[in-house]
Amino acid sequence: MTEHEEILELLALAAAGALDPHDMTRMNAHISGCETCRREFETWSGYAQAFRSLRPPVLPDRLMERTRTRIMAEQAARADQRSEGMLLAVLAGFGWIVAITIWFLFRLFTGGAVAVMETGVTQLLVWSAGSTLFVWLTAAVAALTVGSRRQVTRRAL
Amino acid sequence: MDMILGAAMEMDALSGTPVDVARLRRRDPDTITAVISEYQHRLYRYLLRLIADPAAADDLFQNTWLAVIQNISRYDPRRSFEPWLFTLARNQAIDFLRRRRGESLDSTDEGEVSRAARVPSAEPGALDQLLDFERSAMLAASLAGLPPIHREVLTLRFEEGMKLEEIAEVLEIPLPTVKSRLSRALVALRAGVEAKSGRRRGND
Repeated sequence: MTEHEEILELLALAAAGALDPHDMTRMNAHISGCETCRREFETWSGYAQAFRSLRPPVLPDRLMERTRTRIMAEQAARADQRSEGMLLAVLAGFGWIVAITIWFLFRLFTGGAVAVMETGVTQLLVWSAGSTLFVWLTAAVAALTVGSRRQVTRRAL
Repeated sequence: MDMILGAAMEMDALSGTPVDVARLRRRDPDTITAVISEYQHRLYRYLLRLIADPAAADDLFQNTWLAVIQNISRYDPRRSFEPWLFTLARNQAIDFLRRRRGESLDSTDEGEVSRAARVPSAEPGALDQLLDFERSAMLAASLAGLPPIHREVLTLRFEEGMKLEEIAEVLEIPLPTVKSRLSRALVALRAGVEAKSGRRRGND
């Protein structure tokens, strides 16, 4: 490829301000003595200038307000989700504590303190697992109920 | 000619206004409004140029800002905010284009631009012959006919005034690839304008 052909390839990038200093120097040196390349560069520069002068599109009506409203609604929905999740976790924990407490009271009133102290590890684990499962099932049902109610509310809106 | 070169080089001097990241992370409503207000014209223009669908661009605009708020904790304040914002917007556009009709912003979809299109025209430049008020319309029409990958790089360079390094960051491609893509996009744009101008002269 000749120097002239190489410079021709660079003119578009030069008009876009995308040439490195070395290539800019080469280009300037060449076009100072080459009418064809000089006119080509002016044509490319015209395209670059025309592009920058393109009329910007008109923004849709109330775009910023609608975007802001949507962001706030999304944030509010996430905050609701977080608070509901925390509430369910607290309820589940409370339910678990209540189940264990009931177990202790049951053992205490039916067999006395000795019965509580003589409780086997296996018995304790079975009771703990069972009460925990019961509590989490209750929490899952509550979560599904809340979730389906929220979906109904959203559809209504 | 020097003035035109200077104007082209001035594009590299543009930089974004610092964003109050701390207040944005706290979801401060006034800060959110201020940031959206500052970037709304440029961001909407970028999305519209990319996907050429005003209704979809409206939707993607909102989705982009939702992504900004959701991901602001991952934003590194030492980086410029603009490339990060436009990257999020680009990701939204990529998903949209893929869903729409399998369009892509990958380099394999650039299309061929023949070497003949690079040969300088012997007649007076087609652009020189257009009246000023027609020039923008024809340029916009030619731009709309380019593949998204060309529209994107031209918009980022000439309308958004991004530095080449920032374009490389947004597009996640090396700097030399930005230059070659920009060059091909300009050649394709000019070919489109000259084709339309030739058809117009033929119809006169």
